[in-house]
Amino acid sequence: MIHVAGLRVVLPPAAVILDAIDLTVRPGEFLVVLGRSGAGKTTLLRAINRLVEPTSGIVRVAGRSVTGASASELREARRRMGMIFQQFNLVRRARVIENVLAGRLGYVPSLPSVFGAFPRADRELAMACLAQVGLATMAERRADKLSGGEQQRVAIARALAQQPSVILADEPTASLDPALTGSIMDILRRINVERGLTLLVSQHQLETALAYATRIVGLRRGRVCFDGAPGEVTPAVAEAIYGENG
Amino acid sequence: MKRAAWFVALVALGWSAWDTGADPVRFVRGLPWIFDILGRMLPPDLRVLPAALLGALKTVEIALLGTAVAAVLALPLGVISARNVAAPPLFYPARVVLNFFRSVDTLVYALIFVAAVGLGPFPGVLAVIAYTTTSLAKLYSEAVEGIDRGPVDAITATGATRLQILRFGVLPQVLPLFLSYVLYRLETNIRAATVLGFVGAGGIGFYLQTYLRMIDYPAASTVLLVTVAMVMVVDALSSKLRERLV
Repeated sequence: MIHVAGLRVVLPPAAVILDAIDLTVRPGEFLVVLGRSGAGKTTLLRAINRLVEPTSGIVRVAGRSVTGASASELREARRRMGMIFQQFNLVRRARVIENVLAGRLGYVPSLPSVFGAFPRADRELAMACLAQVGLATMAERRADKLSGGEQQRVAIARALAQQPSVILADEPTASLDPALTGSIMDILRRINVERGLTLLVSQHQLETALAYATRIVGLRRGRVCFDGAPGEVTPAVAEAIYGENG
Repeated sequence: MKRAAWFVALVALGWSAWDTGADPVRFVRGLPWIFDILGRMLPPDLRVLPAALLGALKTVEIALLGTAVAAVLALPLGVISARNVAAPPLFYPARVVLNFFRSVDTLVYALIFVAAVGLGPFPGVLAVIAYTTTSLAKLYSEAVEGIDRGPVDAITATGATRLQILRFGVLPQVLPLFLSYVLYRLETNIRAATVLGFVGAGGIGFYLQTYLRMIDYPAASTVLLVTVAMVMVVDALSSKLRERLV
């Protein structure tokens, strides 16, 4: 579903953030990328939809080339990838439903949407997505009036509204109360199981990763240092991913 | 270094005082004449009140129309002058244009437009548009440069077009600021428009200049009082509105 080969990201002037990343995510996997902060997890996710431009390497998602795609091909590839951010990244002053509708922007005609005109089917889909994260009653509220956990659920609804094949979630629980981690991860698991959506989630918390992932990839200093089932994550593996030495 | 800076500053100020003929003694000798003029202004000649009010209305109209047109014209200019959204080939020329036109005051534009289209409030409106468009564009562009990157990333990730990104990721963040800048400009434009009449560009300034030339100080004082009242009323209304925005 996601195919990454030889991915390298160098940020100016000469910081090598990711190097020689080969990764194939199979359909329906719940893949968690583990690593210390600064290991390159965020950059990996952002390179997959080219919010960060890869220096070299290949990215393909759902059979489409992302690297080397033209502007319109890139937009088409992006709308098949929902993205969830650590800071939710909602448009804070807009209403909840408007935030979810933003997930349809890749599908609707550009000019009418700018004037707020969305096809009826898209509005209904947005409401359905909001209902799926349990926030149907919040549709008319302003996004910044919601709690952090609710805002992240709106962000998930926005991603679902894209009807994506893949969801990229960048530390989706890192800026939430630890008590809320489970509820957000549960929603992601439900999406994964019920819709068969492929999930690529970055996490720095080992326990959470092991509890939800079907596969773990460890990232250390911009390189893959582990790739296997959660059951294979031994204390030695954890040390290799997180350890201070080496 | 610091001593040298002080020395240069003192020399510059000393030179300026000498070259402008600044003379405290002359000022003190002139003081009685100021009181003399003030005394001759009293009591205000209320017979010219209708004319003064009409002039004030014209001035408000000039500022209102000019600011409104400029607020719209400044939108595209402001966007292409923002470093974080405009491509460099657009951005650099746009900045040069802004800084060039902004360096000329409304009154100077009024002189040019009076010469071009003749006397009356219309060249005043044009002058307000000319100055306000570029000064608002500058403020707009700074607001755009100060936005939170997060929502822009999120909208980009949905596969939105550039126009949609501007509309849904950027605009909601800057719109309240834009409106507040427009109101602030309206306040300063009312003040600027009071003197437009001096150069034949209409409004209350025309009456003030006329009565001063005729040495009709009681009439001039009525005009002055109306000007002060007008500016205070507009300032109060505008700041009330601005409070609501933020």
